[in-house]
Amino acid sequence: MEGEAPVRVAQLMREIEEDARRDRRKQLLAHGGPHEYEDPEVYAIVDGILRRAVEALDRPASLFPEVLEDENQWRLELPLRYSSHRPVVGPVLLFIKRRMLLPMFRWLYEYSLENFRRQQYVNRLLFACVEELAIENARLRKMMARPASQGAAPASGQPAPRP
Amino acid sequence: MKIACVVHRYGADIAGGSETHCRHVAERLAARHDVTVLTTCARDHVTWANELPPGVSHEGAVTVRRFPVARQRSMQRFSEICDRVFLGRPSREEQEEWFRQNGPDCPNLLRYLETEGSTYDRVVFWAFRYATSFFGLPLIAERAVLVPTAEDDPIIRLDVLATFFSQPSAFIFLTPEERALVTRRAMRPLEPSTVVGSGLEPAGPPPAVPDRLGIRKPFVLYLGRIDPNKGCEILIRHFRRYHAEHVVPLQLVLAGPPNMPMPAHPAMLPLGRVDETLRQALLSEAFLLVVPSPYESLSLVLLEGWNHGLPALVNGHCDVLKGQALRADGALYYRTYDEFARGIDFLLEHRHLAQQLGRQGLAYVEREYRWPGVMAKIEALLTGLGRQRAVV
Repeated sequence: MEGEAPVRVAQLMREIEEDARRDRRKQLLAHGGPHEYEDPEVYAIVDGILRRAVEALDRPASLFPEVLEDENQWRLELPLRYSSHRPVVGPVLLFIKRRMLLPMFRWLYEYSLENFRRQQYVNRLLFACVEELAIENARLRKMMARPASQGAAPASGQPAPRP
Repeated sequence: MKIACVVHRYGADIAGGSETHCRHVAERLAARHDVTVLTTCARDHVTWANELPPGVSHEGAVTVRRFPVARQRSMQRFSEICDRVFLGRPSREEQEEWFRQNGPDCPNLLRYLETEGSTYDRVVFWAFRYATSFFGLPLIAERAVLVPTAEDDPIIRLDVLATFFSQPSAFIFLTPEERALVTRRAMRPLEPSTVVGSGLEPAGPPPAVPDRLGIRKPFVLYLGRIDPNKGCEILIRHFRRYHAEHVVPLQLVLAGPPNMPMPAHPAMLPLGRVDETLRQALLSEAFLLVVPSPYESLSLVLLEGWNHGLPALVNGHCDVLKGQALRADGALYYRTYDEFARGIDFLLEHRHLAQQLGRQGLAYVEREYRWPGVMAKIEALLTGLGRQRAVV
């Protein structure tokens, strides 16, 4: 290895990602995607925002769910919880549900659960997208409101600087 | 120093990242210290069935003290608590119950730590997710060192871990990404700590891959358990699509025990579990190693590949793999099918650059992952900890 110029993975990946992005844009346009993507800079910004939203999926806390009123009204309740309000026969009913009915219908439960998991993933993704767009919007508003002496909003197509 | 190493399973024939790491470190620490491994009688990490005799034995210079597991894992109870904890909004009690059901349930080991733990200068715990660490470490926190082997999976997000991670007196991490992840969960700087990874011996002269296996060159190699949790479903989907869209005669060889149905495909060759000789042969003759796992605390397979000068293509959604690829300049990464296909195309079209990535990976292993360097860092942490305590 002595004497050979190092190959930098970060640089290679930038080129590979750029190639992939360029081809994806062409394909989207060819298949009727938004005409705004004819501007490669607009496309690059949209791509960046959506990628940040996907990466934000695992953020431990976010604002959007907090501002929704009652989370019991919208949050998917995936685990199957057994309960009965009957004080005497309740435990028997629970036993029948848990030990006899569930084993019979487990295949249906698992099929539904897998689809609900996917729905939960899509919900989280959409929440993250909305929040990422709101953050982007807030930053742009702040920049536009800033006096000219402190610097104008970024030029069209330039990604806004991340804090 | 008198050192105890606490791990859920122990033995030369026991596979598993944490277990192997513990064994390698314990064996090397035993060259200079009085080392006892405190572990269970289990060999199977799914059932935790007692298979090894309880009591004290000696494996080389290491004393091994095995304790029986009180009850095997109930898969039904474990599945129910997983649903409650990972799909709902679990209470603190439910989260703790998850660790109890994950096991191994080994009350005698915990009792031993409570009564005899203070006779050791240091007690090193491997893998936070097992009951031996989660319930054992708080019993002897003031002299506990944790090797979390944490991955960015749903378990790490449990609330109870913020308290748990605030207890050890020191940490040994496998990568900088793991340190960052655990620090975020603990919500405080985790000092003293060190990032050590794991050590590798230099690769020996490579054996040849037997012709009878039907392996055609060039081939992409996947090494490890063939499991959806290891990213294999997506890898197989990506590879089948790549094969359909390209005329390159590239084969995907999967070497490891299957834990999912394997679709039959002319360009995919599942070998099942392979022995060490074949493993070394595959690593030395592959064109490319692929590591599709979304969760890793340190990819030993990736290091092994680099140890053979093999370039790699890794899952870019996994911060640890991406971090390793960038630090070593030894692997490309992908997040989408497009990037997967372009990564393979690039390496096939630029063979000399692919080989150079492999050489850079090997140089990285030489710099960071040889045992003398790894053990020097661990020794410095364990000894320094004593000095800090003496000052206090």
